[in-house]
Amino acid sequence: MKKVTYFPGCSAHGTSEEFDQTVKMVMKTLDVEMEEIPDWNCCGATSAHTMNESLAYALPLRNLVLAEKLSNDTMTIPCASCYQRLKVTKVHMDENPELAKKINTAVVGEGEYQGKVAVKSMLQYCYEDVGLEAIKAKVTNPISGMKLACYYGCLLTRPKAITQFDSPEYPMSMDNIIEALGAKATPFDFKTECCGASFSISDTEVVLQLSGKILEMAKESGAHGIVVACPLCQSNLDMRQPDIEKKFKVKYDLPVFYLTQLMALAFGFPKEKMMFAKHIVPVDGALAHIGEVIEEPKKPAKAKKAVQAESEVE
Amino acid sequence: MITLSYQGKNTFLEAVNKKSGADVLECYQCGKCVSTCPVSNFMDFPPREIMQMIKLGLKEETQMANSMWFCLTCSACSGRCPREIDIPAVMEAVRHIAIEENYHSDNKQVKNIRKFHEIFLDMIKRYGRNYELRMMAEFNIRTRNLFKDMHLAPKALLKGKIPLGVKSMKSAKAIRKMYEMADKLEKQNK
Repeated sequence: MKKVTYFPGCSAHGTSEEFDQTVKMVMKTLDVEMEEIPDWNCCGATSAHTMNESLAYALPLRNLVLAEKLSNDTMTIPCASCYQRLKVTKVHMDENPELAKKINTAVVGEGEYQGKVAVKSMLQYCYEDVGLEAIKAKVTNPISGMKLACYYGCLLTRPKAITQFDSPEYPMSMDNIIEALGAKATPFDFKTECCGASFSISDTEVVLQLSGKILEMAKESGAHGIVVACPLCQSNLDMRQPDIEKKFKVKYDLPVFYLTQLMALAFGFPKEKMMFAKHIVPVDGALAHIGEVIEEPKKPAKAKKAVQAESEVE
Repeated sequence: MITLSYQGKNTFLEAVNKKSGADVLECYQCGKCVSTCPVSNFMDFPPREIMQMIKLGLKEETQMANSMWFCLTCSACSGRCPREIDIPAVMEAVRHIAIEENYHSDNKQVKNIRKFHEIFLDMIKRYGRNYELRMMAEFNIRTRNLFKDMHLAPKALLKGKIPLGVKSMKSAKAIRKMYEMADKLEKQNK
């Protein structure tokens, strides 16, 4: 039994409750015990680092200090934005102890930061600490037949110096997990494009354009749905999808799943537990593909023969 | 490899470099950042031009542009920059200077973006955590656009996508204290 510290983030109690719930189900199945940071606070998100640098470090630092009071060496975070803020803070504080000391004065009464807990996104933890084989071993109801575009967004793998995980241009970790569940990951060029993030509220037009391109490319890849591991990506691609369809006069019908919803489904949890009712774009059409046989495009047989013939000559 | 830069004492460049930890003079104007940036078409000046403006010491023009307010910090540009310049950090430095030195653009989008961030930080100061529904409502009230996104409300609320309340934290007081201390630290940084 592994143990890990858990930082749910604000949206886990709000727009992404289904992410939080399914992370808990999946981790339990994978024999990981999660210990939530007691009385954690908001990471400050985009707004803090936009407006006030000291606050942008202090808010995550309090959570890092609280995490050190628990006995686990790693913490995992489902929200990509929270993950980014905590990891940036950790990397900068570890590099610059003088800065850490200064920022620590704003974290009143919680003690000194020591830098002893590793910070990993939920995706990274599943991929590196649990591993593909362990995930595969728990699959009882493979979701074969589904074609899915894995969308990572900007914050799970970038900037490389901060995340130190997967590729910033064409990551494959989520694709590999999806394939371990039996589904097919489609070749998708917009994996790490930005969805427009918090502009959803402050300047919606930006999100309609940016998320619109992501939906367009996902559809073009032949996917039945999109897989994400970030609450803001999910709400932009899902909740804004009807507006995007209206604006550009198109029809996508692409449900946007959290990675852990699909993992839980493949692990045999009943559909009712995934809170699919919260989704704006209905998921049933995509889920109906489970069990279908995907026909692979035929590889040119000639080329193979030619190679064989060559080796025979040798 | 260098491009044209201001030959006298460029205090703006120095301030941006110091704040960002980057060296804007490294930029050789290839424009890869512009083609990579997902929001460059929303900007008065795309990242490449902002870099050149900083080199030339064009402080007023840079500070009054909307560019740094549209930057999403998605780091796509810096990942592809052949000079490995941390462009989002440069944008952030320009933004922080604009806040410290009270540059206020009349651009409505910039005003809305700033207002959004202020409201978000108010929520955290009050509850320690984000209260999504209240944040959206306050944004509509304070930008005088009451009906923004109202067409989403019935579905989003009925389906429970956006909950009505917030589970605030116990140590909300500690967060208010943190805000005070952070403001003090910011003043020292100036």
